[in-house]
Amino acid sequence: MSPILFRLALTATLAAPLPLLAQETTPDSDAPPQQQDEAPAGADPETTAAPQSDAGEAATAEPADTADSEPVASVVEPSQTRVAAEQRQVGVDWPFYGGDAQATRYSPLDQITPENVSQLEEVFTYHTGDLPEGTAEGKYSPETTPLKVGDDLLMCSAMNILISVDAATGEENWRFDPGVPNDAIPYGASCRGVAIYTAPDMADDAPCATRVIQGTLDAKLVAVDVATGAPCEDFGENGTVDLWQDIGARVPGWYAVTAPPAVVRGVVVTGAQVKDGQAEDAPSGVVRGYDAITGELAWAWDLAAPEANRDGPPEGEVYTRGTPNMWTAATADEELGHVYLPLGNSSVDYYGSNRSEAENEFATSLVALDATTGEEVWHFQTVRRDVWDYDLGSQATLLDWQGTPAILLPSKQGDIYILDRETGEPLTPVGELTDLPTGDIEPDYISTTQPISEWHTLRKPPLEPKDAWGFTPIDQLWCRIQFHRANYQGFFTPPSSERPWIQYPGYNGGSDWGSVAVDTERGIIIANYNDIPNYNRLVPRDEVTSQPIHKQESGGDSGTNAEGAADPQEGAPYGISVNAGWRSSLTDMPCSAPPYGGIRAIDLETGETLWDRPLGTARRNGPFGIPSMLPFDIGTPNNGGSVVTASGLVFIAAATDNLFRAIDIETGETLWSTVLPAGGQANPITYEVDGRQYVMVTAMGHHFMETPVGDEVIAWALPEE
Amino acid sequence: MTTTEASSPPASRNIGVLILGWICVLFGLVILAGGIWLIALGGSWYYALAAIGLLATGLMLNRHRIEAVWIYLLTWVGTLAWAWWEVGADWWAQVPRLVAPTVILVLILICIPALKKRA
Repeated sequence: MSPILFRLALTATLAAPLPLLAQETTPDSDAPPQQQDEAPAGADPETTAAPQSDAGEAATAEPADTADSEPVASVVEPSQTRVAAEQRQVGVDWPFYGGDAQATRYSPLDQITPENVSQLEEVFTYHTGDLPEGTAEGKYSPETTPLKVGDDLLMCSAMNILISVDAATGEENWRFDPGVPNDAIPYGASCRGVAIYTAPDMADDAPCATRVIQGTLDAKLVAVDVATGAPCEDFGENGTVDLWQDIGARVPGWYAVTAPPAVVRGVVVTGAQVKDGQAEDAPSGVVRGYDAITGELAWAWDLAAPEANRDGPPEGEVYTRGTPNMWTAATADEELGHVYLPLGNSSVDYYGSNRSEAENEFATSLVALDATTGEEVWHFQTVRRDVWDYDLGSQATLLDWQGTPAILLPSKQGDIYILDRETGEPLTPVGELTDLPTGDIEPDYISTTQPISEWHTLRKPPLEPKDAWGFTPIDQLWCRIQFHRANYQGFFTPPSSERPWIQYPGYNGGSDWGSVAVDTERGIIIANYNDIPNYNRLVPRDEVTSQPIHKQESGGDSGTNAEGAADPQEGAPYGISVNAGWRSSLTDMPCSAPPYGGIRAIDLETGETLWDRPLGTARRNGPFGIPSMLPFDIGTPNNGGSVVTASGLVFIAAATDNLFRAIDIETGETLWSTVLPAGGQANPITYEVDGRQYVMVTAMGHHFMETPVGDEVIAWALPEE
Repeated sequence: MTTTEASSPPASRNIGVLILGWICVLFGLVILAGGIWLIALGGSWYYALAAIGLLATGLMLNRHRIEAVWIYLLTWVGTLAWAWWEVGADWWAQVPRLVAPTVILVLILICIPALKKRA
């Protein structure tokens, strides 16, 4: 499309919404959600099925042609006009990925109680139909959590098919397939969720007055009408914004969105997953804000050139390459106008000497941006000079902490921080580890100090030789030999090459993308966590056999291995070999003793542990991959978070035993569980339709967690009277 | 036939005891090798010591000597003490330490009648 046409489209779309955005929307705050209820009912599954294929073609047929339009973006001057809007409430609805606008994953619903939870029965199972085909085989990890708004569940499938389902019956209202190709899958095919946005000043029955927005694996923002699934014509190019713009050469799978965008004051904020460990010269970790109505770039935050690239890089250039990215979900703060970005690490995770000062400054930090301007407000770094892939994976939670507007941040090291969300200052004690080992590889780069939370950590004491495990003395002895062969000096042992090194906790956490749930009424944090070491080795360049993704033939087998299993780290003197979970080469079982994962209740007032239990039974795990069928709570690796309800229940799947369970928040006791048809590595939700409370989780499996793949969306409720 | 049976040692040996004996020898050799490696790496001496006990037990079993029972009992009690000292009541951690050695203990106890007959 020509730049002139683009400008015309832009001025047309800008003219309408922007002045209107300035209006105060608070007085009729309850109106949008109520009108919301009407819209989806009108959706006709028969007639709305049609637009999907046309739009899908349109979406895939318009690549790399908007490069010239970038300077136009500076026309948008949103800072003076973007004001806070009333947010949808959690309860009957589950309107945000994290439940409410604060991402607490707490629901005020209380129909299902500890007393009656055992009577739960399945109401419906909906099949998305999105199952791996061809080269996608072995790469599915959908991690999908729907929204519930009005009468509908709104979700994306692993390959970004947007779907609306009746929340009471599981009948499909519409679907929209943006046509994501298999080669766009980075490490796993994941779409954790979608966001919803209601334009404050559009007529309620106008197309896309309320829109569902997702980021796709092939790096597009897609917006469709909530009632029909038809692409929003006013948003980008026929409902699509190309995120590859100004990133550089398109290498499918290197740059992919897997998390729901955050919408703050009419700005859609998204980062992207940059596939780890490929090369130092990798796509930028730039985080960008787009106008939620027009899809026009509002700002870009390029941490290495925040001022220069705010409105996009100069003509012919790209955003700073290889910088730390945000692959997980940001948290929107409508009130302060901030967006909180849990940043990951630079593209090459395990070697740092070539990183820029800007990368060192921001990697593995929580960054608060002014979401209306893209300017940094503050940042809080959780790892100095991260060479352990300790990306911040958890969505942060907004809360009022002892009278201060605060943000709660869990990390992969298991540390939980509470920060003042206006200033970034810690409200809970932060300690400092000193005299940490610096190793032989890059002793001048490795930091001798690291911050830790002295308020609460999920982390366990360092490993000892006696923690080596197995089923018999023989495989235990083998693991014990591996322990002594490795370089291990406790927490933050720096990478080594001559000998392997043990990283504990491993990159799976602590707390990962499932994050934590916060019961603000009872003052309890529910945190599930992993407790697993990784067994790693830096591989000298001349021994590295794998090729970075941009030099691979398409359809390679990347993704079938664990993340970092054999990554080239091109540009660094070493590749990386990660044995995730320190699995025994004899039995394939972990070399460390169980439990491998747990769930814990923490007093929000004091940071003290209220209870702590292993999460997950041994029923599906055993040596040589044989299910042991043992019902014992061994505590398995887990991925996915929990939901807490006002009645005192914690709902969680996450563990690799494929169970979905309800836990008593007071005691940690499991009160109810049911077997899922596939892995439940997703965050559950709860909602209400016509006075009946439902709990829901998707059972879609996870390649890295080695649970069976599925396409099920399952809802339970109490029997009707 | 009857004469050869009476004079030939193998005929009076219990095949079960022999198999158990060879299993103990085999596992004992494997654990001894690994145990020596572990000592060389600065690790626990338990495995090498226990392997010697297991090896001796196996050799005695092959000779149908009742001493096999006593040697193994000593090894097993030592294992129990070591395991408790290392990980106490952490039952998951006790699985590799106690389950297999106890299975072998039970098998050896089952062999006692055959060993006594021979003695």
